[in-house]
Amino acid sequence: MMNKEQLIGKLKIIVKPYTNNPEAYENMDEGTGFIDDLRINSANLVDIILDIEETFDITIDNDDMERMLDVKAAIEIIEAKLAGK
Amino acid sequence: MIGNDVVDIEQARLESDWRRRGFLEKLFTYSEREAITLHPEPETMVWLFWSMKEAVYKIWNRQTLKASYIPHLLECRIDTFDKNSVTGCVEYKKAIFYTQTMIKGNIIKSLAADDLLELAHIKEIAPDIIYKDSDGLPYIYDSGSKIPVSVSHHGRITQVVRL
Repeated sequence: MMNKEQLIGKLKIIVKPYTNNPEAYENMDEGTGFIDDLRINSANLVDIILDIEETFDITIDNDDMERMLDVKAAIEIIEAKLAGK
Repeated sequence: MIGNDVVDIEQARLESDWRRRGFLEKLFTYSEREAITLHPEPETMVWLFWSMKEAVYKIWNRQTLKASYIPHLLECRIDTFDKNSVTGCVEYKKAIFYTQTMIKGNIIKSLAADDLLELAHIKEIAPDIIYKDSDGLPYIYDSGSKIPVSVSHHGRITQVVRL
């Protein structure tokens, strides 16, 4: 099982190509918002969700997708899905 | 209340692969996906529906001050589709929002309102000085009064609208 730092590290690789704010990206932590802080285009949020599904081999359902707006929620969702595997 | 959204399809081609596995399934309802795949220009339909949803999301966000990733819950319906002009509505939890979209070349511009009369009165204004309130919502000053605006930027296009 990966720890939180490792998860954030993997997430950082996933979000990089969609990020439009390099400074916020460098300082990305649990409090970082994908749209507000990283300035990710909302049409690319689905790419992040699909990349997470592929990277971690999990399925993100609609309820989870709805709150996938920041690093904290993403980590919570990934952790819960990995624990349930 | 009003909202807007612009899509520069040339920019969208650089940023998004709508043919990617899972992309349409996550963002669009069954009937929207059917309309997209049956249309001779599926790419236009993808970004038409997307801009309708985004314009309406801005209204919902302003009404509720909530943030949520809900494109799949905003159900688009098209009422009239002329060459460059599309009218329709978007339903979310039994609430109806009205939309009007212009499609010109590779540019799609959608306007939305929760009231049909308001939709007809939306004006595009020059993107001058735009302020943001404590909730991050944009507004301008017009002769000393605070007027809410909706702002959308994508690729080559920035559009600011008000009532």
